[in-house]
Amino acid sequence: MKKIKITPYKVVAVAILAILAFLFLFPLYWILTGSVKTAADINDAVPQWFPMSPTLDNYERLFDNPALLWLFNSVAMAVVSMILTCVTASMAGYALAKKRFIGRTLLFSIFICAMALPKQVILIPLLREMAFLHLHDTMWAVILPTVGWPFGVFLMKQFSENIPGELLEAARIDGAGEARTFTEIALPIIKPGIGALAIFTFINCWNDYFLQLIMLNSRTKLTISLGIAKLQAEMSTDFGLIMAGAALAAVPIITIFLLFQKYFTRGITMGAVKG
Amino acid sequence: MNKRMKPTGMQKALIRRETISAYLFLLPALIFFVGFVIVPMVMCLVTSFFNYSMTEFAFVGFSNYVEMFQDEIFIRALLNTILIVVVAVPVVTVFSLWVSSVIYKMNGAVCSFFRCIFYLPVVTGTVAVTVVWKWMFNRYTGLFNYVLGETGIIDSDISWLGDERTAIWCIILILLTTSVGQPVVLYVSALGNVDESLIEAAQVDGATSRQVFWKIKWPQIMPTTLYILVITTINSFQCYALIQLLTSGGPNHSTETIMYYIYYQAFRLYRYGYGNAMGVILAIIIAVFSAIQFKVAGRKND
Amino acid sequence: MKNWKKWMSLLLCAGMMTGLSACGGDGGSENTAEGNDSGGSEGTEITLWTYPIGSWGDSATVDGIVAAFNEQYPDISVSVEFLDYTSGDDQVTAAIEAGTAPDIIMEGPERLVTTWGAAGRMVDLSDLWDEGTISDISAVSEAVVNACRSSDGAYYEYPLCMNAHCMAINYEVFEEAGALQYIDEETRTWTTEDFGNALQALKDAGVETTGIVYCGGQGGDQGTRALARNLYSAEFTNADHTEWTMNSEAGIRGLQQLVDWEQAGLLSHDAGLQAADELQLFANGTVAMSFAWNASNESNYAEQIDFTAYAMTFPSDDGVPELDGGIYGFGIFDNGDEAKIDAAKQFIQFVCDDETQGPQSVIASGFFPVRSSFGNVYEGSDQEERMTVFNSMMPYLGDYYNVTPGWADQRTAWWNMLQNIFNGNDVTESVNAYVETSSAATQAASGN
Repeated sequence: MKKIKITPYKVVAVAILAILAFLFLFPLYWILTGSVKTAADINDAVPQWFPMSPTLDNYERLFDNPALLWLFNSVAMAVVSMILTCVTASMAGYALAKKRFIGRTLLFSIFICAMALPKQVILIPLLREMAFLHLHDTMWAVILPTVGWPFGVFLMKQFSENIPGELLEAARIDGAGEARTFTEIALPIIKPGIGALAIFTFINCWNDYFLQLIMLNSRTKLTISLGIAKLQAEMSTDFGLIMAGAALAAVPIITIFLLFQKYFTRGITMGAVKG
Repeated sequence: MNKRMKPTGMQKALIRRETISAYLFLLPALIFFVGFVIVPMVMCLVTSFFNYSMTEFAFVGFSNYVEMFQDEIFIRALLNTILIVVVAVPVVTVFSLWVSSVIYKMNGAVCSFFRCIFYLPVVTGTVAVTVVWKWMFNRYTGLFNYVLGETGIIDSDISWLGDERTAIWCIILILLTTSVGQPVVLYVSALGNVDESLIEAAQVDGATSRQVFWKIKWPQIMPTTLYILVITTINSFQCYALIQLLTSGGPNHSTETIMYYIYYQAFRLYRYGYGNAMGVILAIIIAVFSAIQFKVAGRKND
Repeated sequence: MKNWKKWMSLLLCAGMMTGLSACGGDGGSENTAEGNDSGGSEGTEITLWTYPIGSWGDSATVDGIVAAFNEQYPDISVSVEFLDYTSGDDQVTAAIEAGTAPDIIMEGPERLVTTWGAAGRMVDLSDLWDEGTISDISAVSEAVVNACRSSDGAYYEYPLCMNAHCMAINYEVFEEAGALQYIDEETRTWTTEDFGNALQALKDAGVETTGIVYCGGQGGDQGTRALARNLYSAEFTNADHTEWTMNSEAGIRGLQQLVDWEQAGLLSHDAGLQAADELQLFANGTVAMSFAWNASNESNYAEQIDFTAYAMTFPSDDGVPELDGGIYGFGIFDNGDEAKIDAAKQFIQFVCDDETQGPQSVIASGFFPVRSSFGNVYEGSDQEERMTVFNSMMPYLGDYYNVTPGWADQRTAWWNMLQNIFNGNDVTESVNAYVETSSAATQAASGN
């Protein structure tokens, strides 16, 4: 450990950070407390900093809806997207980074250009396509475009640049096939990158409100974020109910984040630094 | 690079072998990419030349594109979108770099505490966070007016989301809090990986901390910076859910973004062709932005 | 080696997950695929989507209605989805384009007739509108029949219920401010002058926020329209529903009046609020009146309100208001399957026309029947007293102009116009711009 000097700048910086931390923490705090407040407390003109008369009423009403099913749908969708993306992107990224083949530059440029395009732009054509495949209102209508998104390929290509060419050459000389070279030499090196990609894909899929909105109709197929948004009616905003839904959605994912935090952050580092 | 020397037969065979195996590796990704990105993208491009709605489908050439640039709301949306990107991208990058450089040397628990805090809005979910912010901005019962009113900073309540002057800044503020999570995590790790021996050597040579930052740390975290610039740019351009849940583009189109306007034209007015044409233009703009970033940040990297 | 195993098992896992969910996915798509092989009405599956119209947005109520239907028609299974007004339209658009549109949808003529009907997506329900039905409904209001029929003569809506949108005041606050003298408690009407005086009285009594002209978009536009056009009895459209007419002298005068009150501090405007927010503020007691009131809202907010929410008509210069109405009913999407269309028609007829179910369906909406033969469906119920008040306003129901083509475009332009004038822009100019935008949309929508 290095010695840490305490300078005025540092004191000020930490103070600012503390204030900012409050601003970032507050929404979550408000969601958690709001979910156990009564409607009267929530709508009070003077903010009720603590739930004075906690109630589970909001959760009871939330579970009148198939909220757990929504949560399951969200998880299933995010996990399947995550796995498919990691598998396809790590293979493709490896090939783009380590193989010299015809059309490589062109292909990579197309991937980069497509990455810049917002998904929403192609929604109407996507809808027609899903209709053609009879996949609308199934979770595949959300998963397939998510996996197709070239961001993962770009990221894995960056990570794969780290694989030393000599190692691959050595494996080839040893007579290892392409598949074995990939699984035994390349994969262990890009593993942290896959971890990073897994988290990004999971969270992006989790938060992709618009795609879910357009692709899913049935009450039994909704995701949790879609479900929460739908709880807002036109003529009344049941804040407590929405907060309960938000808490249900947030707590599991935050728990996962806290548990795996070290693994996540280490994973993110190693690749991105060595672009 | 192969053009420089004439490939021999052996090399040709090698290239062929490499090409076949490369495409086999690429195949799974390409199936998804072509099927669910390229195909709809081409459909999008083609239909942008049509008067395409729920009832019609007629070729109209460039008229959607011509109409677009005469459409005042589109121009307004374009300017708003660019404002959001131009403000959000540098602020997110600089802010997350500053936060990271303050916290990365703190002891493990404190550092991960802050890192978690800044990541919270990302994992809490956009919809949930937005609902809370909407309440905070509420003119009559919201937190901001309450706090500012109680402390005597303002006399009369401000309609944060209802005022043309403040609405877009509220949107940008929320966008910032939901955008800095990943950059902070990335920068903390990147700064932690900067070679300590180089820094110590420089300090022995009498370099100031500013010099250490710019000469040693900055170049080493450049790839991370490039990556952050790209993802933040894309995210800022795509700012949509915030608008729909908070302002619907108002007041008086002051928070209209292209993304939201495309959605409005396509899903509310069923003008798919027109929406697609705007999508094409937006894609071109984002591609240009990204290309500039790659050129500028990428060159220093080499 | 260790790593290799780990990765292989991961891949295996991925494969299994894919396979598993693929099965689930296929099962799902089968349900939504057109069941061409189902002949007759035996074992027909139909879907119903509802917007939150009273308790029609509530699963317990609707499940009960479906159960009642199944007692008579056990072979038709109905699955229900609930839409909201924020994103419901988007989901319908998506479903239409993706070929998964529901069989039955519940809303009003501006969507069923003007939007989806005009786009050729709805089934003509003329066969349900026999002469008995037409005369029964006409006896209540000719406007209902006209609203459900498109310009080409096809009926795209089969109506169930209707209501008149009104406003509400906080009775106790008015009482304290001595403003009750400005309202006619007999007829629940007031003149524009009375309204202005009441605002002044409230202000003098120290009421901080009297009323809010919300203009944050989305729903509740009828309240702002009714307020602006009634002040000087302006017409919102012409009688043929082909032109927007708020740029008439009376229309401009009404809007100018609102701006004048706002500038005098007697009335507020807020482009950050939507109808739901305004209602919540009214329910909290923060604001002394609501412009988005109706029978259904009164029962929704009853629990939260600890004062007397006193329903009023909108103020007008001649004291005779013209209220905006809502006509809610069912339409059928043409999904190309005759069996489903027949089953859907059976469902609609049961829900709307059945002697016992019909009135129950109306009560579920919290509004009033469109059929005169139903009489007073609230008679003898605990809601009777409350509903009598709203029923007394039904005669003030004005023209149902919501069927004017280009409605959705107009609505956005309306919000922007309101935001504009309260931001100090010239009223005449802003209204003209709004009419111009809306007319362009009308022409585009009816030109083909």
